Amino acid sequence: MASAFVFRRAETAEELLFDRSLRTRWRLGLDRALGWLLPLLFLVAIVPILDLVYYIASHALPTLTWTVLTSTNPYDPDALGVPILSTAAIMALAIAVAVGLGLFGGVATAEFLPERSAGWVRTTANMLVGTPSVVLGYFGYFLLVITFGWGLSFLAGAVTLAFFMTPYIFRVVDLAYSSIPRPIREAAYGSGARPYQYVLRVAAPIAFPQILNGVFLALAIGVGETAPIVLTTTQSVIFPPTVFSPVTFLTGTIWENFSQPAGSPALALAFQAALLLMIVVVGLNILVRVISARYQKRLEGLYQ
Amino acid sequence: MSGDANGHDVVVSVQHLTVRAPQRTILDDVSLDFAASSLTAVVGPSGCGKTTFVRSLNRMVELTPGLEVDGAVVYLGQDIYDPRVNPVMVRRRIGMVFQRPTVFPTSIFENAAFGLRLIGEEISEIEREVEEALLRAGLWEEVKDDLDRPALSLSGGQQQRLCIARALATQPRVLLLDEPTSALDPAATQRVEATMQRLKEDYVLVLVTHNVAQAARVSDRIAVLHAGHLIEVGPTAEVLERPRNPLTAEFITGRFS
Ligand SMILES: Nc1ncnc2c1ncn2[C@@H]1O[C@H](COP(=O)(O)OP(=O)(O)O)[C@@H](O)[C@H]1O
Ligand SMILES: [Mg+2]
Repeated sequence: MASAFVFRRAETAEELLFDRSLRTRWRLGLDRALGWLLPLLFLVAIVPILDLVYYIASHALPTLTWTVLTSTNPYDPDALGVPILSTAAIMALAIAVAVGLGLFGGVATAEFLPERSAGWVRTTANMLVGTPSVVLGYFGYFLLVITFGWGLSFLAGAVTLAFFMTPYIFRVVDLAYSSIPRPIREAAYGSGARPYQYVLRVAAPIAFPQILNGVFLALAIGVGETAPIVLTTTQSVIFPPTVFSPVTFLTGTIWENFSQPAGSPALALAFQAALLLMIVVVGLNILVRVISARYQKRLEGLYQ
Repeated sequence: MSGDANGHDVVVSVQHLTVRAPQRTILDDVSLDFAASSLTAVVGPSGCGKTTFVRSLNRMVELTPGLEVDGAVVYLGQDIYDPRVNPVMVRRRIGMVFQRPTVFPTSIFENAAFGLRLIGEEISEIEREVEEALLRAGLWEEVKDDLDRPALSLSGGQQQRLCIARALATQPRVLLLDEPTSALDPAATQRVEATMQRLKEDYVLVLVTHNVAQAARVSDRIAVLHAGHLIEVGPTAEVLERPRNPLTAEFITGRFS
């Protein structure tokens, strides 16, 4: 009797093992095409950026001196000392408020709220992230400057900026806590951890790098914002003596000085502020990259 | 159907336990007693409710939203589902080991010390109890010289025994094990089984397993779940040799041959 396993015809290994279907060929072709296209697109994107950097640097550097960066003399209008210190102070208060609110909201949403309410909170946060900052600026203006009577002030500016940054922090905290591997969470509760003990002892060390990332990103986004600040504070030549004093933010300096005549020291100042901001933002982004890379390594064993 | 613990001291008594999900009943009126110094294997086909059953013994079910528990689980005379009972305290008395090793990304020592840190034990006390727990879990000899190593650097079987040590450190009387060897190779499985056999002298062990051979090797009693019902319970040899319920026979032979 003939064997049950009869091949229809002799097939070569090549016929059996090579995939020559049209779809596969198409995909391979596309792969190859993209291999050429992507570097090209990268060039298209990088050229204007480099051009921008060059444009800013060429206007900023010729008159950039140490004194420009550090002088806080109120009678020296062409220095950045006061805006730099003021920006640092505003960012410090804003990030402190944003981190406080974001941590609280994010942990509550990820760990304690029932699914439905958590969904609502997340939707709200996503909407806030998508809201143009000028709208938040007006909100801060009407609520803090007018209704609360804080005036155009350091406090109004910093709190408005905090409103702006909170949803970003909230989202990373929520995500970091929600993505703690379920077995880890169960092991913690299964060992008799109280909810706060789980949140602080088990989840926090795992979530921390991701949250730190979010904080730096929020700083990078916040420091480059203009609308929430120019609508809620007003220029000052000195570091604000009280929280209700007006204050100068670096983006505010750019905003105020950009329409100055070409070649004037005031316009150069705008470019110098822009250069400085660019360096800070790029620096923060690099930091985020570094932390992410480390974080990936640390948790490799955990996600298996 | 109800299981009795043959006159020994009853530590945990499950009474008319019913667990419902929104669309269906996962466990239906299960009653079963667990005596001191015993190892009960809970067996049954995949999806019959074994995991849900052990998770209701220390209120871990409550971590899954939407499940509703009826009936009572009486631990030393106290129903753990009494509204005055704090589930955190229940889980400190009734420990749990999961299907996959679930060590924390900290050191071996800190993993074993986890439950003790939660209750704020003093460090000298913690060191003593960690050693004791690692000894009981059969891991001490392998790790005593590098307790500060990351727990994630241990092998799967060692990690699982570390999880057992972590559960034992707070000195529970009951240890729930949900398919603790299903992710391990045969050699590691054998070591965990040896550990379980030593532990059953001093604890109430509840071992969930889909592996009848394992139940035969380590348990003194078998409880068979089928579609959320407890269909049979009795001494291991008796259930395996003379199952009373035809479904049990089907399950056992399906696994053996
Ligand atoms: N949270 C839940 N919601 C709905 N169904 C569930 C839930 N948890 C478990 N189940 C169902 O209950 C049954 C028993 O699950 P489980 O206890 O995990 O069984 P086993 O551990 O025996 O495989 C399964 O069919 C499962 O799909
Ligand atoms: Mg299971």
